Amino acid sequence: MKGNSAVEGALRCYPTWWRARYADEVRAVTDDLTLEGRSTTRVALDLLLGALKVRARAEGMPKVYRLWATRTRLSIAAATLPWLLTAPLVLIAMGNQSLHSSAGRVFPPQLTVFGTNDLLVMGRHAPIPAPSLAPAGRIVVGATLAITVLFLLTVVVLAIGWIRFSGGVGLSSAHRRRVALLVWAPGFALLADIAVVIAQTLVRPTSYQSSGGGAMVPLNGHPEATHVLGIILAVVAIAGWLVSIVCVAMAAKRAEVVPKDLRFGRNVSVIVASLFAALLAAYAIWGIGLIMQTHQAAHGNFTTIAYSNQYLWLPMVLLLIVTLSLSAFSARAAARSWRVISLELL
Amino acid sequence: MASKRLGRTQDPTILVLTSLSGGPKHGYAVIKDIESMSGVSFGPGTLYGVLARLEEEGMVEPLPAEGHRRPYRITGVGAAVLRERLEVTVKVADVAFKRLGALGA
Repeated sequence: MKGNSAVEGALRCYPTWWRARYADEVRAVTDDLTLEGRSTTRVALDLLLGALKVRARAEGMPKVYRLWATRTRLSIAAATLPWLLTAPLVLIAMGNQSLHSSAGRVFPPQLTVFGTNDLLVMGRHAPIPAPSLAPAGRIVVGATLAITVLFLLTVVVLAIGWIRFSGGVGLSSAHRRRVALLVWAPGFALLADIAVVIAQTLVRPTSYQSSGGGAMVPLNGHPEATHVLGIILAVVAIAGWLVSIVCVAMAAKRAEVVPKDLRFGRNVSVIVASLFAALLAAYAIWGIGLIMQTHQAAHGNFTTIAYSNQYLWLPMVLLLIVTLSLSAFSARAAARSWRVISLELL
Repeated sequence: MASKRLGRTQDPTILVLTSLSGGPKHGYAVIKDIESMSGVSFGPGTLYGVLARLEEEGMVEPLPAEGHRRPYRITGVGAAVLRERLEVTVKVADVAFKRLGALGA
């Protein structure tokens, strides 16, 4: 019974079209194999691996527009959602920048975007020029700039894709109200964030008075409510971000969009996967630059750049490699599915 | 042990086509046939992955089901592809045997 449920569970991992075509035959073969003594666990694992291959390659999938359009939409979602899931974590895994030097505290404490400021340290009587930035620090500055530009560029590409997708759903989907709600989830999440930010602004104290002991006492507003709203904002932002990803994935499965929107989505997925690869490269270079400048600072008097969460670099690189692989594989699947649609089904 | 390692590297497509070249067979019969001729033991996930691909490429075709068991047979295209692949394999095998002979192995 346990073996049968494992086999049935593995069969459920296959696409519906595959189960409709082969499931009865596979059950018959499985019965014969288990009767002769083959382990049901081994059979179930083989089926599970087979299900993954069928889902990845779509070999034998009937040449029906609806099936291939769904596959294209899901591939587009699988190519873009890993970026949405992990790219914000890259920014979190970098943290806040600070500057350090053996000559003392460096100010301004952060570099400009292009790393062009004149750095100073406090001398005995007046500020004096800080030691020059470690040569590898320039690599860190360049990589940080590249990460920022790639991040913003991808946001723009995704926003354009999302606008096109939501417009396409409004025009052609059979369950367009339900699907439109799912598609608009990121918009609702953003509105919720804005509402909490406004509420926080309304209750935040704006004027303070010294209490005498060095502490500042607010003269207006509600500091406790401001603190609580800060926590609520973090929860709403994270929950909204994750719920948006799930909703867009569900919408991608259910929505019906016209072929030219599918082609557009294919392009978006390929561009996002390419930008994702560039982001990984920039982030890897950023981390290597940080390591190099530490070595340079150990052998000379340099100003170095540090980031509050830079210790997360290696795990983040590994996570990015995994998610980028999924994104690139899915973008390729989207391109191949679209090729089948355009060459054989239109 | 060495033959087992070689068995794992054999191309499932060739094995399935070779099995069906002996006449139409359903899934379990194909698995047993491949097992007896090559020592490779397929699971149903592997077999039906290959069958689906071969069916899509027109190299095998399903026959009417007998209960839950559906036999498959090799098509003309499948037979031609199998012959072509085997000719290459035989050529490679000839060269390999000659070279092994020269080595005295």
